[in-house]
Amino acid sequence: MKYFIEGLKGMLPITTGIIPFGLVMGTVCSEAQLTLLQSVAMNLFVFAGASQLASVDLMGSQTEVIVVVATGLIINLRFMLYSAALSPLVGNSSFLTKLASAYCLTDQNYAVMSAHQGKLTESGEIIKFYFGASVCMIVTWHMSVIAGYIFGNFAPTSWSLEYAVPLSFVALVIPSLKSKVFIYVAIFTSVFSIIFKTLPYNLGLILTAILGISFGAFLTRNKVRK
Amino acid sequence: MIQADYFWKTIILLSIGTIAIRFSIIAVSGKITISERLKEIFSFIPAAVIPAIIAPMVFFHEGSVEVILGKERLIVLIIATIICYRSKSMLATVSSGLILLYFIKLF
Repeated sequence: MKYFIEGLKGMLPITTGIIPFGLVMGTVCSEAQLTLLQSVAMNLFVFAGASQLASVDLMGSQTEVIVVVATGLIINLRFMLYSAALSPLVGNSSFLTKLASAYCLTDQNYAVMSAHQGKLTESGEIIKFYFGASVCMIVTWHMSVIAGYIFGNFAPTSWSLEYAVPLSFVALVIPSLKSKVFIYVAIFTSVFSIIFKTLPYNLGLILTAILGISFGAFLTRNKVRK
Repeated sequence: MIQADYFWKTIILLSIGTIAIRFSIIAVSGKITISERLKEIFSFIPAAVIPAIIAPMVFFHEGSVEVILGKERLIVLIIATIICYRSKSMLATVSSGLILLYFIKLF
């Protein structure tokens, strides 16, 4: 229980990032005229804000199902990185624990885990810490989305609340740019995503993502040889 | 207006795909070892994907402030990026960006 509580506490400072993101999500849902049930269900089942924002936007313009899903999954591809980070810690756990820990993977959780991993030694302690942080994350996320949904209904359009979407994406990506190589990759993908904008079916995003990851692999190729 | 059946179909497929991605490496833990090099390549995913969503969204937006050719959102984004880099705070980034955009549009 001690480590669970510590996890809850570890997530608390991060809620200042979750709340505005959830408010944006809720506002976008209400502007797209989704029902509260649809918004809450999406939050519960998908539980990945960035991909939800992008898919609500695409659904608003009647994009084909396959394009919306592919775009959302490309955005969520980064969870593979977090899945790899978590896998050594839950290797010996039960199937249900593994599945629950996979469901809870988010940018915020990954950030909190990386920051606290040094202090926790046993993998059992880390898992309890992880689930504590997850509960804090899930509760904050759902509450702020519902608040955003209600608030979004009466916020005037002159506030340009929809612009909070790219702004919150900036705040998601900046902490992941840990060295110059990551900054080069980010600049590279920004430029190529603009060039490929006119490609149909959001193929530009898929192509840019593949090129960007390859560019990162290319930039770090020499480090591997030595 | 988003049709209900269209919405549910999309959300169900997105949910299944997302949990599959989250579970992927955890599911094979103990059976397959992921090399350090592959982990390094995975670490480029956020930098390769998220800017590719932001850039077209903001670059192609037609705004209303004539002196800067309607590109006020692009300018605000650049300033917000600097604020984010300094503060590492989502709250500071989102609120400063929205407030700045509001005032630029007033003039």
